[in-house]
Amino acid sequence: MLSRERVSGRGIEALLLFLVVAVLALGLALTSIGLQVRQDLNPVVELPAIVPPVVLVAALLTGAHLLLRRQRRTMEQVLLPVAGLLFALGLIAVFRVRGTEGMWQQLLRGFVPGMGVLMLFIWRPQTVESMRRWTLPLSLVGLALPIATAVFGVVDETGARLSLQLGPLPPIQTSDMVKVALIFFLAWYIEREGNEAAGRARIVFGRLRLPPVRHLIPGGMFVALGTLALVQMQDHGAVLILGILFVGMLYAGFETRIFVTVGLLGLVMTVLVGAVLAFTWEVPTVIRYRFIAFVDPWSEAPLLLDGEPTGITVAQGPGYQIQQSIYATIAGGLSGTGLGLGTPSYVPLAHSDFIYTVVLEEMGAVVGLPVLLLFVVVMLRLLRLAAILPPTQNFERLVLVGVAIHLFTQVFVMVGGTLNLIPLTGVTIPFMSQGGVALFVNLAEIGIAMGLAARLEEARR
Amino acid sequence: MDLINLNTLLFAFKWVFVGLIYFALIVVVIAVRREMGLRLGGGQALPSAAPGRLIVVNPGGAVGIRAGSTIPLRSENSLGAEPDNDIVLEDTFVSGHHARLGWDGAEWWLEDLGSKNGTFVNQRQCRPYKPEPVPPGAALRLGEIKFELAE
Repeated sequence: MLSRERVSGRGIEALLLFLVVAVLALGLALTSIGLQVRQDLNPVVELPAIVPPVVLVAALLTGAHLLLRRQRRTMEQVLLPVAGLLFALGLIAVFRVRGTEGMWQQLLRGFVPGMGVLMLFIWRPQTVESMRRWTLPLSLVGLALPIATAVFGVVDETGARLSLQLGPLPPIQTSDMVKVALIFFLAWYIEREGNEAAGRARIVFGRLRLPPVRHLIPGGMFVALGTLALVQMQDHGAVLILGILFVGMLYAGFETRIFVTVGLLGLVMTVLVGAVLAFTWEVPTVIRYRFIAFVDPWSEAPLLLDGEPTGITVAQGPGYQIQQSIYATIAGGLSGTGLGLGTPSYVPLAHSDFIYTVVLEEMGAVVGLPVLLLFVVVMLRLLRLAAILPPTQNFERLVLVGVAIHLFTQVFVMVGGTLNLIPLTGVTIPFMSQGGVALFVNLAEIGIAMGLAARLEEARR
Repeated sequence: MDLINLNTLLFAFKWVFVGLIYFALIVVVIAVRREMGLRLGGGQALPSAAPGRLIVVNPGGAVGIRAGSTIPLRSENSLGAEPDNDIVLEDTFVSGHHARLGWDGAEWWLEDLGSKNGTFVNQRQCRPYKPEPVPPGAALRLGEIKFELAE
């Protein structure tokens, strides 16, 4: 058996964070040199531009690490470096596709504020628990922002309203906020009313147990309003994530029989609403195109818009993105084309939705598979922490489960989409895709987990 | 600079890059394994034997228990009048499924399951369906039955 001394301190975290910074520095340097070599330019002349970002990332990660050391925490040494490594690989890919400007945007809009919140949660872990009191107003704000976006949002070139312009601030994407708001709202509501709802459940049809309907209304309303806002925003990927989160949180929060009963009720209502919608609602063009492209990206059938031919084939229209993604994946093969030496700019939206394709093309499957493994590690760490929290902390447990579901479904949906294993939906890959709000939210979620681990350690001491 | 040398260098460093990622991955796996081993070895993760028992202070109207007798506790115990409970308390003031008492590895907690006559910890009534911590040595009352939680 291992002695306690051998795992005390935070040596493993220090080693891992050093590796993260080394990977980032080497990756950015190789990308920079590769880009220069392609154009027969002096390979090292652009190298100084990558020094400040590496120093910034190293400084913030070291800051968080030293803060943890100062507070003598020994728990949870893996989560921060693993998230950092995923971020580093994403930043290399963003730098590759969007250059220095995109990299700085990612750093200043996502990483710096995200690490700020993470360090706040490490420094004052009780903040995480006091969030319980502020959950209702915060989650209502998180619901109101997407609704405002759906009504007043900025319409982008594809007809989707994803961003909200608030005064002089840069436009923010609000769909990630509604997911976090749902996690917190459901955790808060299940802790408050869940046991009572389960206790008062009536037995229906022999073994099924149905809680009183009034306990189901607030959660259902929240999901319904969020879904309507997202449909109006044309962010259908987020609708999918919201649905999975709702079902997952119900599963985590209630015993199986109640979950099955509520789930069956939801299924019946979905089928009824779906039957009505099938006759009255026209499927948005985006969804229809995505599905056609999923079935056969190389299809030569003419593309129809509102029943009229548009003059191009499916392969030239919505199929193009997926074709390019698959070609890029094949070009990468096992070991990749080498950083800066591939052609990821052929893939539309390579910096956000298709960031995993960039990784597969230039770093190859030898890096692509560890990325998936790292996401599995993040999910398992979060679920394990949720499992060892005491039953008196039901809210925190449910938040952790929700965070794990949130991170993992985004990866699952997006990686599946880029490899054409499931229809493509536009969500981001956590920690990797370019997108300030998404990265901020993901780092804050890791901060919550670290804060809860710290509280647990304080309680055990 | 000679271009062939540069390409060789780029190729070599590409594999250094991949090697660093795999090294980090291996360290992560070792760290997780080590911590798991520690938990299982220390016996903290599986609190199957909870360090406590209930001492009956006043059996009230319950059949089958005497004052002064002790009831061993598991990591989670349901208390109530129905025969499917872990600890069956056949008393008119105890509800069918009255309360749950459990050990989370660090402290005891008690949850009232919406009982009719309430559950009391140190003379203070628990709110239904809200698990709350119970200090060691606390006086518990379910209906008319009084217990002491002993370590």
